[in-house]
Amino acid sequence: MADLKAIAENVINGQAPAVSKAVQEALDENVPVGDILHQGLIAGMNVVGVRFKNNEFYIPEVLIAARAMKAGLQLIRPKLLEAKVKSAGKVCIGTVKGDLHDIGKNLVGMMLEGAGFEVIDLGVDVAPEVFVQSVREQGIQIVCMSALLTTTMASLQTTVEALKAAGLTDNVRVMIGGAPITQEYADKIGAHGYAADAATATEKARELVAELNA
Amino acid sequence: MTPKERWLAVLNHQKPDCLPTDYWATAEAHSKLLAHLGCQTDRELYTRLHIDRAIAISARYVGPPIPKNGDVFGCGHQTVQYGGGTYNECITHPLAAFTSVDAIEANYVWPSPDWYTYDHLPEQVAQWEGYPIRGGGSEPFLIYKKLRGDVQAFMDLIEHPEIVHYCLDKLFGLAYTNTLRIYETLPGEVDLSYVAEDMGGQESLLFSPNHIRTFLLPRMQRMIKLAHDAGVFVFFHSDGAIHDIIPDMIRLGIDVLNPIQWRCQNMDRETLIQDFGHQLCFHGGVDNQHTLAFGSVADVQAEVRDNIDILNRHNRYILAPCHNIQAVSPPENIVAMYESAHEMGKSI
Repeated sequence: MADLKAIAENVINGQAPAVSKAVQEALDENVPVGDILHQGLIAGMNVVGVRFKNNEFYIPEVLIAARAMKAGLQLIRPKLLEAKVKSAGKVCIGTVKGDLHDIGKNLVGMMLEGAGFEVIDLGVDVAPEVFVQSVREQGIQIVCMSALLTTTMASLQTTVEALKAAGLTDNVRVMIGGAPITQEYADKIGAHGYAADAATATEKARELVAELNA
Repeated sequence: MTPKERWLAVLNHQKPDCLPTDYWATAEAHSKLLAHLGCQTDRELYTRLHIDRAIAISARYVGPPIPKNGDVFGCGHQTVQYGGGTYNECITHPLAAFTSVDAIEANYVWPSPDWYTYDHLPEQVAQWEGYPIRGGGSEPFLIYKKLRGDVQAFMDLIEHPEIVHYCLDKLFGLAYTNTLRIYETLPGEVDLSYVAEDMGGQESLLFSPNHIRTFLLPRMQRMIKLAHDAGVFVFFHSDGAIHDIIPDMIRLGIDVLNPIQWRCQNMDRETLIQDFGHQLCFHGGVDNQHTLAFGSVADVQAEVRDNIDILNRHNRYILAPCHNIQAVSPPENIVAMYESAHEMGKSI
């Protein structure tokens, strides 16, 4: 019998093949795909987020857990569309122009995906106009940007301004992060959210989507 | 006292005549500062700002030709513009595709220590009489990340420990022989070696203490012994929030802790001086994520005051920016850092 708890457990332990196997079994037994997502994959990643925040997990553990989650997600993705299971929100994410450092961005993207968000990864060194285009064409609700360097922080502001100039900030929320970033800086450049780590970023994204839906 | 004597006083638990300072900057920030002060040479800058710069010496590469935009390890690099300057970032990773040690052994040629020469070092050192000399050392996980790519390198700690052990043995081996040859070329003349590895992020360690103890510390210990046996002080560098691993590093025998990013989690200066102040020299401490880059001259002066009051409580502090000064930091702030350190540092 399909065991959703085992899916979660294997996500936490980063066992991608075991996650795929258990998810396939659940699908074969016609377990509702929303249950597989929420009680299996997302439940597992929630624990990963808590352990990361508590310094029980570090980057390697989170990376292998996220890969295991993705292995499961890949199997259920077509069924999620068929069953019209709603995502937690649609996000685009990238490092800003001039910045190639993407470990933090990747962690945030994975945690968001693991929390049920649809994540469009724009990659690294992303120009403001590419963020604008993504929002225009892909129905994005939250733009996530990161900068590791003090020298590339200015690109965060440039991108926020580009989104404003394009008239896109009414229905879109902007979240920023990266080593030198603070809440104060987010406020200064008019970003709606800041998070110090990937687990907190997920909570913030949920808040911002709720704000948009209110 | 000369800059060298000032450093050695701090390293040997003696009181220097005034607070020593050190200087790290990107090429762009350095050019801006030289132009701002009208200085023609580095030496002129150090004299003007009373900087006790540790002079870096290194081996010269004479091995097989390296392709354009490549490096000695076979990584590919790209120049990335950030508006105001450039960084040279690694974008291709020669060991990324391998899944076993055997496959790497069969397909990859490791750089040899014999690809370097050391004959020029005595002349280089002679040019900087009176300044502390830094040479040798290691930072192999940084290279490992370039060889495998960041994400794979991190996952390898769990999934391919045998590859990590194998590669780190090779990389530490290269660093060890390189360092030994520097010491042999300059007996008694090298003052410090960097034994470095970035283990911290803004909020916590990047990898677990268990992984650090398994993969890095035994090899770092060997480097530390090499330095100490040659009478060289060990300068440990790790960015970020590393409080949890500092006791291990002290047990290994490090002499200097750098760069003291005190705004990171659990790295506040009072905690560090209370927990480790009697066991370590502190180097760095002037924040360049906020204060130097975006603060006012008064902010910089206040931070220098605080750093001296706290981190120099046991006369074991060398003031410096806590990473390379970046081009966004106004030259006025940099000058304020060194001038206030000089003024306040006279009466330590």
